[in-house]
Amino acid sequence: MSARLKLLRCGPLTTIQDAGRYNGLRHGVSASGPMDAGAFARAGILAGTSGTTGIEFTTGGIALKSVEGTVRIGWSGGDFRAAVDGVAVPWSSGADLQPGSVLEIAAGAWGNFGYLRFSGEIDVPALMGSRATSMRARIGGLDGRALRQEDELTIVGAGLERQTVDAVDQDLSPVRFIWGIHAEQFTKDVRQRFVNSSFFVTAAMDRMGFRLKDAGNVFEGKSSLSLVSEPVLPGDVQILGDGTPIVLMRDHQPTGGYPRIATVIRADLDRLAQMRPGTELAFTSVTVEHAQALWRSRQK
Amino acid sequence: MIGTSAADVQRACIVPLGDAAALVRFADRLDDQANRAALALADALERSPITGVLEIAPSLVSVLVRYDSDVIDLVRLSGEIGLRLSSEAAPSAAKIHDIAVRFGGEDGPDLLEVAAQSGLTPSEFIAQHNAQPLRVLTTGFAPGFVYCGFHSQEMTVPRRSSVRARVPVGSVLFAAGQTAITATEVPTGWHVIGRTEFCNFNAFANPPTVLSAGDNLVFSAL
Repeated sequence: MSARLKLLRCGPLTTIQDAGRYNGLRHGVSASGPMDAGAFARAGILAGTSGTTGIEFTTGGIALKSVEGTVRIGWSGGDFRAAVDGVAVPWSSGADLQPGSVLEIAAGAWGNFGYLRFSGEIDVPALMGSRATSMRARIGGLDGRALRQEDELTIVGAGLERQTVDAVDQDLSPVRFIWGIHAEQFTKDVRQRFVNSSFFVTAAMDRMGFRLKDAGNVFEGKSSLSLVSEPVLPGDVQILGDGTPIVLMRDHQPTGGYPRIATVIRADLDRLAQMRPGTELAFTSVTVEHAQALWRSRQK
Repeated sequence: MIGTSAADVQRACIVPLGDAAALVRFADRLDDQANRAALALADALERSPITGVLEIAPSLVSVLVRYDSDVIDLVRLSGEIGLRLSSEAAPSAAKIHDIAVRFGGEDGPDLLEVAAQSGLTPSEFIAQHNAQPLRVLTTGFAPGFVYCGFHSQEMTVPRRSSVRARVPVGSVLFAAGQTAITATEVPTGWHVIGRTEFCNFNAFANPPTVLSAGDNLVFSAL
């Protein structure tokens, strides 16, 4: 069973993702994977997918047509508006897309990333154990690049039964973190102000990292230390030489030499990824044990 | 000298990196012995795996250990890592690779400058650069990008003040007492001294990189 889809329209940074490419750090490749892993999983349940892959799109929206075959699609993510053949359908949800039918999605009230998942697998080769697009390494997905208009994708394999999931609302409560591997290099005063100040997501945000505006000038004039490069993971908050904080995201550099004051916990990285430019955010520290308990409860 | 001496074990410090990884750090700055200790620990972790550990990534002076927090907690992980820190290192089985380089000219636009900064003629610089095998210190920054060291003190020059937006695959870079080789197009502030046909990254191969940290590279001029 297979179907062929054609992209009629898509915004920048539209990529094929799966759960991520792990075990690549020692080869200089970070894992990639969906910016909002929870939403990616929910779209899969809504599609009744038997596959591992899906399409991540941005507020630029996406439109695609089934040019051959019927394909079961599930959609979730931030807030978006979806329509099949011009008729509005609920967000998040799913439907069978008939041959010749068009699914159109446009940005809604909040969020940066949305997901489409399909009954089967997107027919692209697995590289280093994953089909995820790494924009940085230029591998995975479709020739290691973002998707664009006119691209055609083949969906192979039958799906499973479609299930429903609870919708997720926007959550702007403080982003929880664990003190970073260089936290002790910052003064107590700076560490204290880091948790008491407001930061804003800026337009300089992509799959590699989110640059923040340091509204309280917490890191102003703090000269960057010369550090030996060490491994990086998603959620690391690094401070550039000019004092700009960056939260490193899924396509991060595998190693980095800027001081890292904090690492956002796994349970909060998805909702940080959905904060639009201009969103105010605050940070609050938790212990490793607490973060792990939150992760466990989130998985249930 | 390969292995973890008592001094290294004392210096190793385990810090959490988020809620699903730990970093075992052997020094605050780039140091030959710390690099060897990191590679030895990574090797020990490969030979004697810890249940719940998902990924091991050796770096310049530290080792990243990514773990499944549903299987093992940080306290027990630290204990298990501690046991492997004091274990005997395996006999060295470092591979030797020959890397032929076209130094200077269009392939190495910064050769003249780094030679001058080192007080050497370009041919003296190349001879000194190639005199000893270099050890692969780590792979990082970009796919298949290797850091190799160390050069002598007189061969140690700082990075360039400006960054080149893109250097080609196989660029041989020089800075901070090290030589690096690119396997993809990358931006770099290091000096470009030559180019090799050798490519260390192929996503279709398993493993995708040819060189491992700890391997020795013998450089020659084409």
